[in-house]
Amino acid sequence: MSIIWSLTWKELMRKRVVLLTGIMTAAFLIALWFIASAISNEVFGFGLAEDDPKFILEMFARGMLILSLAFFFGGFVIAFLSIFSSSSAISGEAELGVLQALAPKPLARWQWYAGRWLGFVSFGLVYALILFTAIIAITGYHASVPRDPANLISAYLFFGMIVVVLVTLSMLGSTFFSGIGNGVFVTMLYGGGWLGGMIEKVITQVSSLSTNGGGKLGESLSNIAGLLSLAMPADGLHRMMLGRLFNVPGLSELIGMKASGQESLFGIGAAPTMAFLWYALLYTAAAFAFGAWRFQRKDL
Amino acid sequence: MNAIETVALTKRYPNGRGCSDVSITVKEGEAFGFLGPNGAGKSTYVKMLVGLIFPTEGRASLFGEPAGSVAARRMIGYLPELYRYQEWLSGDEVVRLHAKLAGLGGEETKRRVPELLDQVGIGLRSKDRVKNYSKGMQQRLGLACALVGDPRILFLDEPSSAMDPIGRAEVRKLLYDLKAQGKTIFLNSHLMEDVEAICDRVALLNNGIVLQQGRVEDVLQQRLVWTIRVGGFEPQLLEWLRTESGLAIKLAASRLDGSAVLEVELESEEQAGWLNRVFVDQGMTLYESAKMRTKLEEWFVTELAGKSHRGEKA
Repeated sequence: MSIIWSLTWKELMRKRVVLLTGIMTAAFLIALWFIASAISNEVFGFGLAEDDPKFILEMFARGMLILSLAFFFGGFVIAFLSIFSSSSAISGEAELGVLQALAPKPLARWQWYAGRWLGFVSFGLVYALILFTAIIAITGYHASVPRDPANLISAYLFFGMIVVVLVTLSMLGSTFFSGIGNGVFVTMLYGGGWLGGMIEKVITQVSSLSTNGGGKLGESLSNIAGLLSLAMPADGLHRMMLGRLFNVPGLSELIGMKASGQESLFGIGAAPTMAFLWYALLYTAAAFAFGAWRFQRKDL
Repeated sequence: MNAIETVALTKRYPNGRGCSDVSITVKEGEAFGFLGPNGAGKSTYVKMLVGLIFPTEGRASLFGEPAGSVAARRMIGYLPELYRYQEWLSGDEVVRLHAKLAGLGGEETKRRVPELLDQVGIGLRSKDRVKNYSKGMQQRLGLACALVGDPRILFLDEPSSAMDPIGRAEVRKLLYDLKAQGKTIFLNSHLMEDVEAICDRVALLNNGIVLQQGRVEDVLQQRLVWTIRVGGFEPQLLEWLRTESGLAIKLAASRLDGSAVLEVELESEEQAGWLNRVFVDQGMTLYESAKMRTKLEEWFVTELAGKSHRGEKA
């Protein structure tokens, strides 16, 4: 299994996935630097002293806005990296003939599957860690960011969980579809989950759609959003990550900020509860087991 | 001990292809040739034995272990017909990867990989990326990968189809050496000369069904063909000879010295003596009269003549 794991890393390095991702990430981080600078510099023009609570609060709000924007993009980057790095793992390689030479070697197929999975997931997690750290560092330099290590770690784990979900689903899909077809399928599914998240945000921000108001439209939309999030939990995890990063419960207690306080489509909306995390873990474990089972029985 | 044993092994595909009821036994140390036209189901059969695809019915074992199991795969080396190695690896890295997967230790890998790369003739290009290899070089690399685990049985699916004549001769020599070492060889090939030279037994597959199997000598002896060289032969005598003898006689060659080479398919060897006397009685000079060894290719063509086969038009 470790042989296949290290082979996957070598593949990602040699196929210049790392290089291209690194270049594009650097470009994004440079752009983020200027965006963050523009957003935060405005506060200095308000004429507030730096120890004024209003200044501190405004800088924190600006920091949240920058983080929301940055992770909006960052979420897409890690999603596409996870999907397209692993979308050809089974069918694509079988079509190319790579598996025909490797599969007869004395390695159980589930070990091969797990090795590939570990390779893609570990690569995605390392990349997600670098991106997460860089975003926090840039935002922290220009504005205020949460510094509680426990919150930062758990936020990263939610962010990383997106990689785990998408790689698992992409590998499962590759036991059914060809490389390109699978990439399109998982991307569309990811898009569906993202749409569900957007609907949730719209519902929390447009009062006429609020389920609290008893509106039937809001209820229907909420159900649709819930189903989309169940079909693809990535966006739900993304919102949980932002919720944990901004420590919304803590802020609510401190200054009465609501969960929906990030009033933009890049924000949190209604962050799912912890039960959603358990659902996502179960979903991932089931998808992994099904994928390994499918590969075990697949004609190559 | 039986290296390969399949009983009514069947694979059915939705398009009607595959193979059915293939029962073959190959003994340890034997070289077995698996022949058949394109699309006959040869590769399907081998893929079941190496665990790439799963049979619809029947059973197969390699040295007593169920085909496809990890224990069975520990004993095999396989060169597929259609394959591609990771283009982003060098030849040396590909063989090292296969060595690791075959369970070779670090020291053994270090010793065996360069040795094998030299043996298959790509030692000097072993550091180049596979994407820069020609088809023939990739086939040589495939052989090294198949051999790296020192397998007890080798499955070779068209091992030299992309090679030049020198490469083919080298592969043939390599197979001779492996056979001498006691390795079991299962050879899928359209190169009849190779099969004839290396294999002890053959099977002929058509439309997924085994038409014939047996020892190479035996299948070649099924047709008793005699070659006779005579002087003073007139072409008009050919029809007379056919009528007189009732045998299938053909003029194989006419030589500049005026002699002719005739090929006659006999029913018994006694007929050869009678035929020789006929030539002499007709005033011809009998230069040579000998039993002709039938080529495997002729046997192949004869056996499949008139039969439809799904890979190509009938």
